[in-house]
Amino acid sequence: MSGVLTLALRLVVGGVFIYASLDKLAHPGAFATAISHYRLVPFSLLHASAHLLPVTEMVVGLALVLGIWRRGAALVAAFLTTVFMAAITSALVRGLDISCGCFNTDGGHGVGLDLLWRDGILLLMCLWILLARNPGFGLGGIFRK
Amino acid sequence: MAKTRGESAMTFLMPASLREAGLLLLTAVLVTAVSWLLRGDGLPLRADPVAYELELAAPLVDIDEALALYDEGEYIFIDTRDHPEGAFDTIPGAFFIRSDSFDDDLLAYFDFMTPRDNFILFGDGNLQSVSNIAARMTGRGYPNVLILKGGLTAWRKAGGDISSRTGGDS
Repeated sequence: MSGVLTLALRLVVGGVFIYASLDKLAHPGAFATAISHYRLVPFSLLHASAHLLPVTEMVVGLALVLGIWRRGAALVAAFLTTVFMAAITSALVRGLDISCGCFNTDGGHGVGLDLLWRDGILLLMCLWILLARNPGFGLGGIFRK
Repeated sequence: MAKTRGESAMTFLMPASLREAGLLLLTAVLVTAVSWLLRGDGLPLRADPVAYELELAAPLVDIDEALALYDEGEYIFIDTRDHPEGAFDTIPGAFFIRSDSFDDDLLAYFDFMTPRDNFILFGDGNLQSVSNIAARMTGRGYPNVLILKGGLTAWRKAGGDISSRTGGDS
């Protein structure tokens, strides 16, 4: 039962990360603009972040879906989700009226408390995947042999 | 002596997890570097701050001031939203300049919009898409651009005049 739940959560979290990366990969310029609106990342790192973040999301998402390096992928996913929550909280505290840039780089959902709830649930899923003893079905065994 | 449950879990989890996380991040960095080299339309590695500050610096006007400016009649209101086919609400007298048809829309108003005119841009409250239009207008030589904070939602909530248009109107 635990393995089935872990597999289901892996597919959900991995799917979310893969889906979140697609528009950013297609429109790095628009994603850089979305990041800049948070006013947290220095300009020297802005374009590097706009390139690296969606690729990391894609790699982590694929690893979770396929069950490869499950705990490492869950750890990175939990870290990224925590960073996203910190950025959203920072924007809310400063009263910034901006799009979150989570799934859609052209407009999209504005930052708000609902996003924190959503990311909080995502973080709990990541922690379950990280701590679960039974990984559920996946290709992880191939890499351990 | 038997390990405690906590010690056992940490030993069980951390080294492998950290190693896997490091390998995944290394993979991501390598894929990013290769894709950046292969992509012809990729961003330059260093951002030009001017390009971003132009968009970020588009001044905001709050709803109370916007209502006063509307009554004075000194500002041209620009609706930047993509409209549905049917009827929709907007600010009376507003012109439409949308992201997807920016050049065509701007050309349609070429005869009576001058660079000396003052503009207030509004959307559905989403700052990002409106600021993109503001940056493009500024780049085309219309420097006096303001963005209505909160967009049409704030306008309606504050009791501003609303008129109904259909998708065929311009």
